[in-house]
Amino acid sequence: MALSPAERERYSRHLLLPEIGAAGQEKLKAARVLVIGAGGLGSPASLYLAAAGVGTLGVVDHDRVELSNLQRQLLFDTAGVGASKAQAARARLLALNPEIAVIAHELKLDAGNALELLRGYDCVLDGSDRLPTRYLVNDACVLLARPLVSAAIHRFEGQAMSYVPGAGPCYRCLFAESAEDAVPNCAEAGVLGVLPGMLGALQATEAIKLLLGIGEPLVGRLMTFDALAMQWREFRFARRPDCAVCGAHPSITSLAGHVRAAGAPAFERVGPQQLHTLWTNAIGAGRQLTIVDVREPREFALGHLQGALNIPLAELPRRWSGIPLEFPVVFACRSGARSRRACELAAQAGISSPIQLEGGLLAWAALVDPELQVAPVE
Amino acid sequence: MVRPGEVRMNTVRVPSPLRSYTGGAARVSASGATVGALLGELERAHPGVRFRMIDEQDRIRPHIRIFVNQREVASLDEAISAQDEVHLVCALSGG
Repeated sequence: MALSPAERERYSRHLLLPEIGAAGQEKLKAARVLVIGAGGLGSPASLYLAAAGVGTLGVVDHDRVELSNLQRQLLFDTAGVGASKAQAARARLLALNPEIAVIAHELKLDAGNALELLRGYDCVLDGSDRLPTRYLVNDACVLLARPLVSAAIHRFEGQAMSYVPGAGPCYRCLFAESAEDAVPNCAEAGVLGVLPGMLGALQATEAIKLLLGIGEPLVGRLMTFDALAMQWREFRFARRPDCAVCGAHPSITSLAGHVRAAGAPAFERVGPQQLHTLWTNAIGAGRQLTIVDVREPREFALGHLQGALNIPLAELPRRWSGIPLEFPVVFACRSGARSRRACELAAQAGISSPIQLEGGLLAWAALVDPELQVAPVE
Repeated sequence: MVRPGEVRMNTVRVPSPLRSYTGGAARVSASGATVGALLGELERAHPGVRFRMIDEQDRIRPHIRIFVNQREVASLDEAISAQDEVHLVCALSGG
């Protein structure tokens, strides 16, 4: 793919680098990169990849731009609040570099569409905000033999690693399974707005290196960043011979085991007022609800729903037998993320029609019982 | 080597999801001849933190990795020496 005169000027600072040059820039022009999540990480990563002249960029996101995104998601601006993130990202990236193609994938990545989508790209950047999506993306990349640059953030900390097929460990080798989605995301824990800029720029750098075959990829190396200490650290980790997806005898050979994110979830979501009505009606009929509070004991201790059992999310997979199943089972947490995960796990464990308290106890306190004390997030 | 009578303390780096147990501290001190012993002492100083990392079968939980300096730890029996820095790393999910 030869460069036009305008492209030669646009990429002139790359062309000066012997490691890139015209041949490297033509490789970038021919490359197809998929960015999963147009969020804090996906924003800087996709902006830099577009600026760098990656010929085809795909952006996956099913959300809309919210005002609270603008503190860190530089793809968007105030006028774009309410717009489709994938479409707004496409417009911004094309405004930056009209020489490239940008494909907006307005969808939620799930087990049913991941392989088909990822197959069309040479390299994948994971900037999603849920642990299950990270495993889905990793597994799809391993199954399709696609390089993956993964990064994640929390408060003032970030971490990143690359997977290169056949060259080293995958994300599952680093963190073996997603059964314990005990890690709050940005919406629950907060995040320094600049932080994803650091990690997203790292992802773009890695992707460019992988596409060009230059430098030392972040394979078998976990980079961590602590913004408060202003320290990057590197840790070495090895491929696990027993890794479920990239090991010698993988148990994951398709994405069938991943919960489908699209379509009907295998659980019911009810808001606080609806739950209150359900509960009142159940008691009126001489029945009950089994309320399982999946927060940590110290959060539970400060205040909880009457009669609730406390089983922290991380312990749930070992404690199904402790949940009475004769009444409908409702999972509750502070704001709804942990109870959503609990419902997914419960559905997988065979509990029929688990119910999630949408909005969590914060919503319950706001709409039903203002006297309920809800402990701050850990 | 630690001489008799000398108190050995290792620096332990705590990831932000576990700092609610350390009063917000990112760096704490603990000692122990093995990773397991060090985590035991950490638990005495910061009750509850060990269970977030180690299950009932004394296995490191899947979303946690422990590194001594840059080296990954596979077992709680692994020895640590006085100058070693212990890094607790937790899978992050935010994007």
